[in-house]
Amino acid sequence: MRIDSIEKLDKWRKECRRTFEAPKRKVIVCLGEGCLANGSEEVFNEFKKLVAEKKIPDVTVESVAKTGCHGFCALGPLVIIEPDGTFYTKVSKGDVAKIVDKTLIGHEIIDKLLYTDAKTAEKVANYEKIPFYARQQRISLRHCGTIDPHKITDYIAVGGYAALGKALTTMTPQQVIDEITKSGLRGRGGAGFPTGKKWATCAKAPADVHYVICNGDEGDPGAFSDRTTMGSDPHSVLEGMIICAYAVGSHQGYIYVREEYPLAVVTLQKAIDEAKQHGLLGEHILGTELSFDIKISRGGGAFVCGESSALMRSVAGEVGEPRAKYIRSVIKGLHDQPTVLNNVETYATVPAIVERGADWFAGIGTKKSTGTKVFSLAGKIKNTGLVEVPMGITLREIIFDIGGGVPDGRKFKAVQTGGPSGGCLPEGKIDLPVDFDSLTEAGSMMGSGGMVIMDDRTCMVEVARYFLSFLVSESCGKCVPCREGLYQLRELCAKVCDGEATEEDLALMERLAKTIKVGSLCGLGQSGPNPFLSTLLYFRDEYLAHIRDKKCPGGVCRKLITYAITDACTGCMACISVCPVHAITGERKKKHVLDKNICDRCGSCYAVCKFDAIEIS
Amino acid sequence: MAHDLAKIQEIINRSPQSPGSLIAVLQDIQREFHYLPCEALEATASSLNVPLSKVFSVSTFYNAFSLNPRGERIIRICQGTACHIKGADLIQEQLVAGLGLKPGETSPDMKYTLEVVNCLGVCAMAPVVVVNDKIHGGVRCDKALKLVKKD
Amino acid sequence: MVQMTINGKVVKAPDGEMLLTVIRRQGIDVPALCDHAAVEPCGSCRMCLVEITREDWNGWKKYVTSCLYPSENGLIVSTHTPELQEIRRNIMDLYLARCPGSELVQKMAEEYGLTRTSYKTIPEGDNCIMCYACTRICEVLGRNAISAVHRGHAKVISGPFDDPPPDCIGCLSCANICPTDVIEWHDQDGTRAIWGRTFDLISCRQCGKGIITRDFAEYLKEKRQIPADYFEICDDCKRVELARKMGGLVDLAKEVAS
Repeated sequence: MRIDSIEKLDKWRKECRRTFEAPKRKVIVCLGEGCLANGSEEVFNEFKKLVAEKKIPDVTVESVAKTGCHGFCALGPLVIIEPDGTFYTKVSKGDVAKIVDKTLIGHEIIDKLLYTDAKTAEKVANYEKIPFYARQQRISLRHCGTIDPHKITDYIAVGGYAALGKALTTMTPQQVIDEITKSGLRGRGGAGFPTGKKWATCAKAPADVHYVICNGDEGDPGAFSDRTTMGSDPHSVLEGMIICAYAVGSHQGYIYVREEYPLAVVTLQKAIDEAKQHGLLGEHILGTELSFDIKISRGGGAFVCGESSALMRSVAGEVGEPRAKYIRSVIKGLHDQPTVLNNVETYATVPAIVERGADWFAGIGTKKSTGTKVFSLAGKIKNTGLVEVPMGITLREIIFDIGGGVPDGRKFKAVQTGGPSGGCLPEGKIDLPVDFDSLTEAGSMMGSGGMVIMDDRTCMVEVARYFLSFLVSESCGKCVPCREGLYQLRELCAKVCDGEATEEDLALMERLAKTIKVGSLCGLGQSGPNPFLSTLLYFRDEYLAHIRDKKCPGGVCRKLITYAITDACTGCMACISVCPVHAITGERKKKHVLDKNICDRCGSCYAVCKFDAIEIS
Repeated sequence: MAHDLAKIQEIINRSPQSPGSLIAVLQDIQREFHYLPCEALEATASSLNVPLSKVFSVSTFYNAFSLNPRGERIIRICQGTACHIKGADLIQEQLVAGLGLKPGETSPDMKYTLEVVNCLGVCAMAPVVVVNDKIHGGVRCDKALKLVKKD
Repeated sequence: MVQMTINGKVVKAPDGEMLLTVIRRQGIDVPALCDHAAVEPCGSCRMCLVEITREDWNGWKKYVTSCLYPSENGLIVSTHTPELQEIRRNIMDLYLARCPGSELVQKMAEEYGLTRTSYKTIPEGDNCIMCYACTRICEVLGRNAISAVHRGHAKVISGPFDDPPPDCIGCLSCANICPTDVIEWHDQDGTRAIWGRTFDLISCRQCGKGIITRDFAEYLKEKRQIPADYFEICDDCKRVELARKMGGLVDLAKEVAS
């Protein structure tokens, strides 16, 4: 069915809503990437099978629904029973029969599968009461976990494409740009450039062709929110792009997605096909003058392609080398035409702003960083997953209140934000309000919202060396400061880790970092020294410990530590089987012996020992 | 290794025959053969009217492409930040020792290829190992070898 | 024309002309390793970095590569601030680690007081400074025989598959443009060897000296509409022949005059 008018869209929405809301009780199974990896598809199929067999009066096969990611990936596979909002975690295929019998038929709650509050140790039955969800405000992720990403009818039922209808029929392109400008929306992909300003510049640039590109490359290690949005709510991204196309006068759009995100590619393509089928994409969208098409451009896996000019060269099928940006891509971008480039989260936010108004959005967050931001919580944190919170809340609230803090009784040491271009913030910055400017001021950055939490068993020098290695392997190699400079900085950092560096080396590193920052051609090099500079700023004592005392306070750097087996050893043989260099010998139930001369201090024994019998010194 | 040239041409013909299709065509070829055979690069260059040197530049620039034949089982260890913090190095150590392969190498019997990737975007499940597109989360270093060898 | 200030001096330049060209016309020596008049600028060596600001920037300034930054009205350019010299020095230090054997690199580094690198000398380093001049000139000729392959620190200039490049015509443009003379070639017994390939040379019909590779001659005949017999005689012999003819002319003129 082609929807060629607002009236038809409204009528269709009513039908979709009826189907969507028909089942009084629903079994919602999360099929996001995390839950999928833990076997949620089997869980879903088992529900379908058992529900069909049992013939429950108010639960039919149609009541069993799949959705995209719920965000609480640490506890997958997740199952929610509506309308009660009963939230089951770590559900296995074997649990399904019990849920069907007890909960669906018997209306009983199964305690064992509920979430346990880390602070109070109480079981929480309803997901809205779990601190992880209760503190969130979802705008960009508004539909993730509530709709089936493969059904356009689900998206329509929850109000999808209403913002597009509003823009096309009641607003001029200029009014759309004004609304976005007024909302204060800043690009969610990195530096936070004002979105409205970008659109306005592109719209004004004289050219026959304008392009709209969505950056779904998400190359920052530690960030996974765009992957989730593309895979769980693809139509929000498309709708945002179509609204942008209307505002800037574009007829062709591209979504640049990493090849490593196969699920996102499939889901987006399905969404594009369905939107086209219904006249929401393609020629004469909603029966208006607007014609706009979107193609998927699969990225080849290069971090540097997050840089706008490199991304555009990659879309054009070339090597992703950036160019000097003295002519901005918004004036001369893809194929030298004016191009708007925003990331997934930015586009997914646009429909909500158009629908609910700029003032509503500007009322959330802080004055200079309006709205909400999605963060990917990973590393040494209890509640790994995706959270969306108003800008301006503190790191403490995100990491401890929502994220549940550091597991295994260890101590929080640092949080890395903004990926390899960002930095590490120490405990002293834990009450920092999180917005674009305060993070930059503190020596880190927002980036795409990755937050990797580190505990006291992390060596900050080694973390800097890790990021520099990452950047050395991801540098395009075009300009000297980045290609040669990051390599030398990494070598020097490794020298510190090995306890072989001097304080002169440290001074050389600081000088080199400045040259790389100022001298590099693109953002990758210019921000490349940040992980080193931020760790040096906040953890200089750790660098000095490696240099002066030849000690690694985190107990990580191999050349500066030794492992030993203590009397706590029960003789379980676990460490013997895992040691890659066979440095540990012993018999069952007898204390094992570690030969320090053979040991290459990889820490595998420490990782597998259940009795805390491995000592690092 | 000789490859079905007709198959290669069929893959190339799926995309518009212009230089802009280069990356898409190479991805399709890689998906079919798990690497980029020489003859496929030559056919791509002439079909899309791109110099062979540029095809080679693009093939060697992007991580997604491999110029060497890969094994039946492609094992990718994620070395993203979260995985690194949670001990991806230990997993790598176990797999390197257990399979006798360095990252980027394929076993002589063409059974295993070991690769290291810079973040797969499933950081919540760290540390992650991917075996032929199946994601395994929360991998323990002592279980890693068994996991990748399991059928 | 636009008006700018360069190192305190008011300068006029055509709108959009690259700053490096304007600066050098003023007799100011801004170093550059990847710049060459025959090819488009690429901004890879970063030595031509200059500081720019404007009256209305309220003291804000930024560094840009002058080879790629177009002239514009009101620009205030500084070319040799202590910060810039420090950056250039550090860049030469990095070059010295990569190409310790290059005379050009040694000479330029010495201008910044560097005789040896502060960094680790790169074991696999050769004298290639990765300026892309060779690949750019090859592209200008429309051959695209060689290109930059791999990425990051592993990036090198190479033919496809690291093999002798099939599209090479042995024209020597790459070797001639290379600032560090790293591209090896030699002519011997009527053949030319370069990039692992051997080309037949056309020998001069008169003196027998090698003139040009047969492939390059074919290319020039086709692309530049050069007459087919142009390469039969070498330039030296052509000059001798011309001189002989001219000599005859002079004698004739003398005869007429007397």
